[in-house]
Parts: sequence; structure tokens; C-alpha cells
Amino acid sequence: MTLDDAKVLVDAPGGRHANPARHRPDLLAWAGAALVLVGALLPWAAFVLPGGAYPDRATLQFFDAPHLVSGFRLHLVLLGLAGLAGRARRPAGIGVVVIAVVHLAFLIGLGAPSAGGPVALVGGVLLVWRRPAVPALSLPLPGRVLAWPALLAAFAGLLWLVSATLTAGGQSRATNPHGGAEFLAFCGFAFALVGVLSAYGVLTWLAALTQRHRIFAFTVMLACALLLPVTGAGTGYWMTVASTIGVYAATAIGLNIVVGLAGLLDLGYVAFLGIGAFTAANLAHSVPFPVAALAGAAVAGFFGVVVGAPTLRVRGDYLAIVTLAFGEIFFRAAQNDIGGLTGGVNAIPGIPPITLFGQAFNQPVGALPGGFLYYGLAVLLVAAAMVVLVNLKHSRTGRAWEAIREDEDVARAMGVRTGRAKILAFLVGATMAGLAGAVFAHKLGTVGYESFDFSESVTLLAAVILGGMGTVPGAVVGASLLFVLPEKLREFSDYRLMLFGLALILIMRFRPRGLVSSS
Amino acid sequence: MRTKGTAVLTGLLALGTILGAGACAGNKTETASGGSGCDTSKGRLVIGVIAPMSGKLSAIGLGIRNSAQLAVEQANQKCAVKGYQLTVDAQDDEANPDKGAAAAQRFADDPNVVGIVGSYNSGVARAIQPKIAGSKLVQISPGNTDPALTRGADFATAPKRQYDNYFRVVGTDDLQGPFNARYMVEKEGKKRLAIVTDGKAVGENMATQFAAEAKRLGAEIVIREKVNENDSDFASVLTKVKAEQPEAIYVGSEYHVAGPLSKQAKDLGLNVPISGNDGLFDPQFIALGGKDGDIATSVGAPIEKLDSGKAFVEAYKKKGFSDGYGGFGAFAYDSANVLITSIGKVTAKADWTGAPAQRTELIKEVQGYRTDQGANGTVGFDQYGDSVNKLFTVYQVDSGAWKDMTSGEFEAK
Amino acid sequence: MATLAQQIVNGLVLGALIGLIALGYTMVYGIVQLINFAHGEVFMVGAFGAHFISLYVLPEGVPWYAALPVMFLAAVAVSVVVAMAMERLAYRPLRGAHTLAPLITALGVSILLQEVVRVFYPGATAPLPFPRAFPDGSLAVGPVTVLWTGVLALTVAPLLGAAVHLYVERSRLGRAMRATAQDADAARLMGIDTDRVTLATFVIGGVLAGVGAVLYGIHYTQIDTAIGFQNGIFAFTAAVLGGIGSIRGAMLGALCLGLVKSLAGQYAWGGAQYDYVWVFALLILVLMFRPQGFLGRPERVRA
Repeated sequence: MTLDDAKVLVDAPGGRHANPARHRPDLLAWAGAALVLVGALLPWAAFVLPGGAYPDRATLQFFDAPHLVSGFRLHLVLLGLAGLAGRARRPAGIGVVVIAVVHLAFLIGLGAPSAGGPVALVGGVLLVWRRPAVPALSLPLPGRVLAWPALLAAFAGLLWLVSATLTAGGQSRATNPHGGAEFLAFCGFAFALVGVLSAYGVLTWLAALTQRHRIFAFTVMLACALLLPVTGAGTGYWMTVASTIGVYAATAIGLNIVVGLAGLLDLGYVAFLGIGAFTAANLAHSVPFPVAALAGAAVAGFFGVVVGAPTLRVRGDYLAIVTLAFGEIFFRAAQNDIGGLTGGVNAIPGIPPITLFGQAFNQPVGALPGGFLYYGLAVLLVAAAMVVLVNLKHSRTGRAWEAIREDEDVARAMGVRTGRAKILAFLVGATMAGLAGAVFAHKLGTVGYESFDFSESVTLLAAVILGGMGTVPGAVVGASLLFVLPEKLREFSDYRLMLFGLALILIMRFRPRGLVSSS
Repeated sequence: MRTKGTAVLTGLLALGTILGAGACAGNKTETASGGSGCDTSKGRLVIGVIAPMSGKLSAIGLGIRNSAQLAVEQANQKCAVKGYQLTVDAQDDEANPDKGAAAAQRFADDPNVVGIVGSYNSGVARAIQPKIAGSKLVQISPGNTDPALTRGADFATAPKRQYDNYFRVVGTDDLQGPFNARYMVEKEGKKRLAIVTDGKAVGENMATQFAAEAKRLGAEIVIREKVNENDSDFASVLTKVKAEQPEAIYVGSEYHVAGPLSKQAKDLGLNVPISGNDGLFDPQFIALGGKDGDIATSVGAPIEKLDSGKAFVEAYKKKGFSDGYGGFGAFAYDSANVLITSIGKVTAKADWTGAPAQRTELIKEVQGYRTDQGANGTVGFDQYGDSVNKLFTVYQVDSGAWKDMTSGEFEAK
Repeated sequence: MATLAQQIVNGLVLGALIGLIALGYTMVYGIVQLINFAHGEVFMVGAFGAHFISLYVLPEGVPWYAALPVMFLAAVAVSVVVAMAMERLAYRPLRGAHTLAPLITALGVSILLQEVVRVFYPGATAPLPFPRAFPDGSLAVGPVTVLWTGVLALTVAPLLGAAVHLYVERSRLGRAMRATAQDADAARLMGIDTDRVTLATFVIGGVLAGVGAVLYGIHYTQIDTAIGFQNGIFAFTAAVLGGIGSIRGAMLGALCLGLVKSLAGQYAWGGAQYDYVWVFALLILVLMFRPQGFLGRPERVRA
């Protein structure tokens, strides 16, 4: 990502800055762009592959139907055109290289010679190599008349990008044998797209706009999220994955309060999700869902205070291990069916779906896919958690937390009641996780101890850190990445978790403060 | 600095993608070579496989996947489903209910998917069942042994079918555990029994059923302990067990726990036989420390004594899969063949559309399926979706190899 | 009484094996304040390295006293190479970054290493039997029996621990390590190459993990790709219990952890199924009343 390059001063006086100096035309770079365009139109696979025709056909499409360029060829054409412009050159080039390398590797694996691949690859390398030294643009902030449509368009674009990423490569490996390559190549294109936008300062500009029109932006975002089921990604499968993401994202937002705001590293956080889930599961047959959910939240919150109590004495990484210990104790206790509350190894089966106005949440509504209602519930849950987080972050309590995070002793010296604030962080975070746990229980229909082991705590923490600690959308971005990536990497069967590990390392290498970083 | 970083990034990314794409391509050629010389004009039908293919249970999961793959390739060669080419879509559930449910939902959404072979873990099946019940997608499990999945929580007293689209080809815990107990108490004459479990559902339930039957037959359960499934150090638990002077130890777990446990018991001077369920019945049990005299029960007749079983083993070996068929490969092979035969009958009547009505028809075909030529002998289902094959075999380690002692059906008394 | 003595021995053997991993944790933490969750995987790859040498390189029929040193060397070599690569490629670029970023990197490294071994090492999808490269049988003292491999672990682990302690206290590099641990910036100003010191710390951690891996393998006679993670958590717990950053503390913490697990399984409420719970409950209690662990220094106020 090139957001770093985009550190422009949006709020600088005047908002505008001098245009970058004119550059001499760079013939090599233009040649690179031209090669990309040519490569896009050349045949990529010389024959029809055993698993079916290669995406966008393997034949000489240029003669076939030059105006019908679609799929990754369309992406290449767009990136080639973008490569003509100075600023966009590097991100476009990287995108081209990724697309070319992915397809080439795939084709080489199948033993198919390719003409378009090498040409586009050379073009892409030229583009990356001949990047001009121009700063990102900084765009002026418009008034409301322009800002609202701009935000609408931006979030609609985001919705398209999310839906396109989810559906890239098709739904099933058996019916689309090229799905894995298509997905990775699309990731290259999406990366380039974001990079180009960032190079032109659009991302920073949008971030500033969102900040200024917070409530409007939030409403639009919520609407967009609720519209996902009507896009191409509106299948029961993606609804299932997305509602799981929602549950974990809400939990991760709670963890974000504890880790991101208050700076208290928690390695056993999934226990609160579990406590909420087990509470709701036990009450599922006796009380309506809202009551069970509140009970789950309350019980989890109570245990949050219990776990938070040692923070009065234990600090830093020592606190991390105390929370890890609590997490393990919860896991063992659940496995051994403590008090007959967790079902032990046989789990608690047969939790009924949530039912509202006679509509069971796991059934399809009209043309909308099954699981849509759970998805909607998850979105609302996340939205509520985000509202809580934003309000707390900018409140007196939030400032106290951030003071503790930066330096606890100084905070105490300045009159912050650190003990109370720290326990409050655990209370709020755990309550959120408990609420999410109640949804988790009903959504899955069964709750067992194995859903709450240490690696799940680590996943939650990874979501917070990957997304960006202490930021509002961070936990959601992180959780989405952590669940979507392994699902999409299913195409790579045995190598899937390996690639996932590699991705974690790379993301931290290049974005150590998380994907959404607060500067 | 930045350029260098980019170079590293690009390099690593390229490496990763080449690795991944190469792997992907490898799988492709495998599947593509299957259907030669048959009419496949009506397209592809997919058999979904859900199994743990990464992590600790991956040996079992990969055996399940490969065996289903084998069945499908054989079917394609024999043109078993006229007009269609069959493929396997194997999804890794990581033994996690949530992941398994997502994969099942994906199959349920896809009209080309005719049925699911899976899951291995009963916990995953509990999450899958409600997901696919609505779409009538048929599921045949090669590994779920929790009796509650078919007969409900009160399986012993008031059995009630849970889902009409759920079947399994393995015997359940409430048969195998008591069968083992009967052998240990009546044939081996062990009256003081210790139980060690690994805290996972199969082992726990099997051990509970074992204990009930053993007590009924007049034996005494002197101690019951639980170890952690990831532990390798059982010295502490075994010291505790040793103090109770048992005559045999029932291990409710799999070979990777039971093998080392057998050795560590002997090392501590507790030289008594280990007994366990089909999870122990693996050559690795002996390699990992299983000693002569140790006992395991397994579902079905000995595979080497059945022609159909031998044929499966030979065909599997011929394919040259990198992983063995494991303890549940033969069951996965049988499960896939149930689906293949049934879908052949359904598509003979009408082209496959994947509509719920047609899927329901497929369920009926599966319910009525019956053969004696499965890799594990008889394959068929009773009114609950359980396997009709209630035959178990006792194996004992003899001079460093498993030897079958006796086979029989279990009938509750 | 016999049972008690036996349980104490059981606990000490487990503790000694965990201790070797805990030393790696504690040293890395002491120098760079990084909880290296991937350290358990260094231990795991070492075990596979030894397995590889013994199974595929050494000719059959090599006597154990010839095979064992070779296996130790192989395990140490593999562990050290992986530890160094980890430091150079994954952690060093993050030096000075946000404190929690390396944690996620460690996690990525951990997943990556486990999966690489699982997918590419022949047969590693299931537990593998480890070569028996040490005399079978056990030492019997009255009613108590200790496997010879256990005796070996109980001898080697404390000796290595003491050696590392001496090295850090006496040698030039050791002094540089202590200086870096106290204040990296000041150490750099004093002309200490802190990058080199950090790398050396990872190397020492790798050596200990490699030795521990072989001891573990010959004692439990099986290895799998999950042993790193499981024992890594134990080792981390032991390191914290003893006072993270303290070498003697790590060994002490590990032995204590082994004893508690073993004795709690025997005598405490709930039996063996709750032994982990007692280990962690003890940990919480110790940290509540002595937040820096047994031998750790009270935490400095961070800048």
C-alpha cells in the first residue's frame, strides 16, 4: 500500500499546493504501458486447457472481438492506460506484475505456453522501475453539496470492490478450475486500484470527508453494508461467512477497547465470546433472544471485571500472560463441562434460530438468501459496537484510557483513576464480546468448547492489530481479512494456511501500524 | 529503502503465488484425467467433501479426501453416471464447526453439488446439519460416531431421527464401546479396568459406554482420567493409574495418544494391555510404542478378508497418493460410492437440476441403498440413518503387527 | 510415598525439557522485549531436522552413541538457521515499529513454519515415531523409575542452563547482551552492535531449542508439527513464572511448572483433567503477589 506516500496535508492552509514539476516524457515508461496494453490483447494460453477454457478465452481475442475485453484483460488494459499517467505508474505497474505473475505461474503449472503473459510482465516491470518522483496530490475539501454525492459514490465503489473481491474466481473450485488464479489476480488489480487512488490523494481526501461528515458517512456505510446481499456476493455461503465475520468483528471491537485504547494486552479474550455464547445457549429454550443476549452480555461483563481485577497489580506483558491463563482456564473448564453448563465434549446442540415476528433467521426472506437476517443482525451489532467505540474514544474515559496506554504512571500522576479506568475497559470490552457470543450461539446452532481455544484469541488480536489498533474501522477490516482470506485461499488447498501465514508477515512488514492506521 | 522493500515484497509474492498456483495446477490435472471415453455432455456434478485437511487431524482428513477422489475417478472411468462427469470438491474444515458450516453452506448453495461426504468430527456435523437441512442436500459421514446425531439426545431410551438428509456408514460409540468392554471382561478376563481419555468427544463417549457395559458385566472401573489431546507426557497420569493396580487400560483416544501411552506405561512398570476403539487401529500405533498384547476394536470385518476391501486398498495404493487412506478412508470410499450409485439412478430418470425436490429424491435413493460389496463389507442405512453394518472386529498386536482375533455383531442385552 | 516420589520425578523431567525452550523465550524477551511466539516452532523444526538426519542420511545400524551426537548437531543446525532467518527476515525490519506488530509477525511465522513442515516433510501430516537413539530401559531407585532419556534430560538441561548463565555473565558478548537488555540505545552509543547481539541471542535460543528437541524426541519417542506450539505456551508460561528476562528464573519456572502439573494431576481436585488449570491458577496467583515472577526485576517505567 502506498498510503504512506499520501501523507499530504489536507488541512494545510489553502488546501492546494503547487503542482509537481513537469517531467520530461519518459519513453521507457510509455513503452511499458504500451507493452501492457499489447500483452492484454495477446493470447494468454495457447490451447484450451483440460479443465475448460482459460478465463476470457485462450484464443486470439484481439481478432476475435477486440471490444469485448473483460476480466483480467480488462484490468490490464485499465492499468496500462493508468500507467501512462506519471503518478499512477508505480501502483499500476505493481498490479500488472501481480496479475501477470499469477497467471503465468498458473499457466506454467499447466504446461501451457503463453504469449500475453511475458509481454505484460515486461511492461509491468518497466512501469514499476520507471516511477517518477512526484508527490501525491492533495485535493481541496468541497462543501456539502459535493461532499455527500462524493461519499455516496465512494461507498458504492467500496461495496462494488468488496462484492467483486468476494466473487472473484467464482464460488466453487470444481466448477471453475481457474478460480484461485483469478482471485489472486483480482487482488493485484484491487491493490493497484487503491494504490492509484492513493497516489492521487483521493483516499486521504475521502478520509477527511468522512471525518467531516461523520454521521452521513456512517449512515451511508451502514446502508452499503446492508446492501451486500443484493450484489453478486449475496449467496447463502457468503452470508454465513459474513455473519461470522460480523460476530468476530464486534468481539474484536471490544478487544480494541482493551488493547487499542487502554493498551492492555489480552491473550485470552475469546473466553468472553464463549461465556456469552454458553449463557445464551443455556437460556435459549427458556427466554426470548433479546433477554438471553443481554444475559450473555451481563455475565461476560462480570467476568470481564474478574479478569480485569489483576490489572491493578500486574502490568504489561505479565498482564498478557495472566489473561492467557484465564483463557486457558475457561477452555479447560468448558471442556470438562463445569457445572453441567457447557455440554463438555458433546457441546450444546440444537440451539434454535432466532425468531422475530414468526420469521426464523436462518430461513431465506423472499429472494434474499438464507442467513441474510443473521447477516443484517451482525451488521447492526458491528455498527452498534462502532458507535460505542467512537463515543468512548472521544469521551473523558477514552482520553483516560489513551493516557494509560501511553504512560500509566504519568496518567496516574495527572489525576486519572487508572484502576477504575482499566477495569472499565475490561467491563465494556467483555460485555460487547458477550453480546456477540449470544448471536454466535444462535447463528451456529451449537456451542462447544473447541470454538474458544487459544488460537481464536490470537485471531481476534490479529484482527485488531492487522486492522489498526485503536482505530474505529480497524477491527472490522482486520476481521474481514482474517476470515475472507482463508476462505478465498481454499482454492490452494494444502498451501492455504501457508499462504495465510506469509500474508500476515508481509502485511506487518509493510504496514506495521495496521491497514487503517491513525497517524 | 522503499524500492528494496518493494523488490522483497514482489519477490515473496511471486514465490507465494508460484507455489500456490503450482499446487492448484497439480490438482487440476489429477481431476481432469478421470473422465475418458464417457459421454459427459450434460456437464459436471460435484461431490463435496468436508474433512480436516490441515492441522493435527490432517492424516485422517487427507485419507478421506483421497478415498472419495478414488471412488469418483473409478466412477468416471466406468461411466457410472451417464452424461455427467463427476468431480470432488474437498473443503478443509480445520476440525472447526464454524468453518465446516461455511463450507456446507457453500455446497448447499451450489446446484451442481449432489451431496456431501463428511465430516469427520461429530462437532462439525452438529453445525453442518442445520445449515443444509433446508436445502435437502444429502450428507453421508464417514467418521461421526456420536449417536445423538442420528437418534437425538435420548438415543438410548427414546431414539428419534434428527435429520432425514443425514446418514453415516460408521458404527456409533454406543455399540463399539460396549463391544470392546465385553471382549475385555469376558474373553480377556480383566476385572480391574482403568480408563484414560483425551478429552475429545469420540474418546469420551466411547469410554463412557465402555465403562457402563464393563460394570454391568461385573468388572470394576478403578480410575478414570483425562489427558490433554496435545500432550505427549503421560507419565504423571500413568503414575496415578498405576497406584490403582489395574489389569488393563482402556484408552479413549487415537493412536497418537495411545501408542506413546502404551510405551510410557510399560516404562513405568505398568505392563498391562492397552485397549481402545478404531482410533487405535493403525500401523502407526505400533510404531509409536504400542506393544504386543494391546487391543483395538474396529468397525466392520477385517479389510484384508474382504475381496472388495482388498480391491480398495490395491486401487488406493496404485493411485500413489502421498498420504495413506488412514482409519476412515475406506468409509469415505463407501460413502462416495453410495452417492455415486444413487445419483446415477436419479439422473437416469431426469436431468439433474439441483432443485430441492430432486435432492429429496436422492435422499430416498440413499436411504434405500444396500450392498455387501463395500470396502467395509455391508453398506446400508436403518430408519435413523445409521449404518446397518454393526459388525466389529477385535485386533491384537502380535509380534509387532495387528492380528484379527474375532469378529461379531454387538447386540445390547 | 512411592507415588509422590514418582510424580516429583515425572514433573522434574517435564520441567527440564520445557526449561530449554523457556530459556530461548526469556533471552529474546530480555534483549528485544518481544514475545517470540514462533520460538516453539524453532524447537519443532529442530526435532524434524534430527528426525531427517537419522532416517534419511545416517546409514542403518549406526550405534546410538554415534547417531545421537549427529542428531544433536542436525537439530541445532536446523533450529539455529531457522531462528536466524526469522530474526533477519521477519523481526529485524520491524525493529522500532509498534510493539504489537512483531507479535502478529511471530504468529505468521508460526503458522508458516508449521504448515511448511506439515506439507513438505514426508509423513508429517500425522505424528511420526522418533528414532530411539538412546538406551531403552530405566533407572530404578527404590520404587521410583526414571527412563534413561529422562536422566539425560535432567542432566543436560540444567548444565546447559548454567552454561548459558555463565556465558551471559562472563563473556564479552554476554556483557553486550546485558547492556543491550538494560538500554539498547545507550548500548549502541557505547559502540555495541545491537543487531549482532540480537542475532546472537536468537542463535543461542536456537541452540537450546535444538538440543531440547532431540531430548524431547528420544524421551517421548514421537514428534508432530504441533509440539512447538503446545510446548511453546508452556515455556512462555514458565519464563513468566520465573521472571521473564532471567535465565535462572526460566529454568526454575519450568521445573516448578512441571512439578505443579504433575502433582496437581495426582492430588488436586478434578484430577489430571484440571492439571492445566492449576498450572495457570498458580501463575495468576504468583503474578498477583509478585508481579515480576520469582527472579525477575520489577518492571521499569517505560519511556
